[in-house]
Amino acid sequence: MQGSSEEQPPEPREDATRPNPKLEPTEQDEPEEAARREAPLAADAHSGHDDHGLAHTMPVWMLVGVLGALMGLTILTVSVTSFDLGSEGNLVVAMVIATIKAALVVTFFMHLFWDKKFHLILFLTAVLFVILFLSMSITDRGEYQHNIDLYQSTTSAAAK
Amino acid sequence: MSETTSESAASTAHKGGHGAPAPAHGGHDAHGGHGGHGGPHLAHHFDTYQQQFDAGKLGIWLFLLTEVLFFSGLFCAYTVYRGMHPEVFVYAHYFLNTSMGAINTCVLLISSLTAAWAVRNAQLAQRKLLVLNILITIACACTFMVVKFFEYEHKFHDGLLPGPAFHPTEQVWELESFKHKHPEAAEYAEKLTKAAEAKEHAKGAAAPAAGAAAEPAAIERPTEEQLEPLIKAGVIGPNAEDQTRPSKPRNAHVFFGIYFFMTGLHGIHVLGGIGVFIWLLLRANKGEFGPKYFGPIDYAALYWHLVDLIWIYLFPLLYLIH
Repeated sequence: MQGSSEEQPPEPREDATRPNPKLEPTEQDEPEEAARREAPLAADAHSGHDDHGLAHTMPVWMLVGVLGALMGLTILTVSVTSFDLGSEGNLVVAMVIATIKAALVVTFFMHLFWDKKFHLILFLTAVLFVILFLSMSITDRGEYQHNIDLYQSTTSAAAK
Repeated sequence: MSETTSESAASTAHKGGHGAPAPAHGGHDAHGGHGGHGGPHLAHHFDTYQQQFDAGKLGIWLFLLTEVLFFSGLFCAYTVYRGMHPEVFVYAHYFLNTSMGAINTCVLLISSLTAAWAVRNAQLAQRKLLVLNILITIACACTFMVVKFFEYEHKFHDGLLPGPAFHPTEQVWELESFKHKHPEAAEYAEKLTKAAEAKEHAKGAAAPAAGAAAEPAAIERPTEEQLEPLIKAGVIGPNAEDQTRPSKPRNAHVFFGIYFFMTGLHGIHVLGGIGVFIWLLLRANKGEFGPKYFGPIDYAALYWHLVDLIWIYLFPLLYLIH
């Protein structure tokens, strides 16, 4: 990708989404390509040739597209509550949709798709520990319930 | 003035930095030549802008990890309590305003877009767009807090507070959100309450609960299906002997403890984000950010996306309980 920018014909849009193979900032072609697409933002053109070289730059169409997807999923998750999908079904569907939304935010808004893989590993480690934390707490949650029931039945009997 | 500054920053970058970590153009001297920068923004303990940026990025990611784990404590409390007492959550969700929550979700998503866009603007030295996007982000964050304020105010007014302060002014079956979804169940709960009250009046203050059991027979009992919403919300028990006197489920206040802690901690993060973005707005207005130095915008945006991310989970967990 590096050094191949100036003479290349405009690449298809999908290309902008591919991962950076070298984990190194190489943004020669992308910003000018984006600038060409954004007619109203013609003022960008002068900086379109920038090679800031520090990190990936998100094209505007992708940012707006991600927002559209997030909005659509928000509408979906609200409207799906009017259907009864069983005792746990609605919760599962809501969490799946939330996780898709979270993945969109992390992948695109937070640049993790293009970022150093180490940052992805860091983030996934945190997620892993949260899952461990929650699942162990869930398996343990009923452990003292009989004591609580006993306490509550004695206190309510005493109240009468 | 500032426009020329960003232009010169852009052209410097174009000449100098192709690809790999470029030397800092002779560092301070070369940059000082452009003037008006307010300094070269390369801290003395870094060799290159790349090194400086990467160090900051690693730092913010580590901070975000601690944030995820920080919030996970509250998510754990939520999970355990919902696992144990689902009826409390079903009961309490009728008191929450879904449309306000949905509006806040959209507002926060839009602010996330503008924050991500601001990073792009900083990278491309588009000063005016950068300032505009930061402004929109702040405006959305403030909108979020205003909506939150009205939600909180409403809950304070209705006595929906955690702990001993929990004194709801309305029963769940009196709420529009409940009546709209389950009209028959609401009506039945209303009748039961009236019957139970009449019974208590007739028998004096010390009415034994057993005496009320005969009365509901006079009221036409709805189908099991119509009764289900009341049982699921813990208003009446699953057994016939617990179905004479509708009331709120035991420990319903715990939901509002969880609700206020989760949304409150999130709200504090939004307030913090507003502060950070105001600071960045002032700096961006001076034209401090450009292709070599956009780290602060990027880090603040990452933090903002995490705040958005947490809300993405909070919204269905608190507002969209079925």
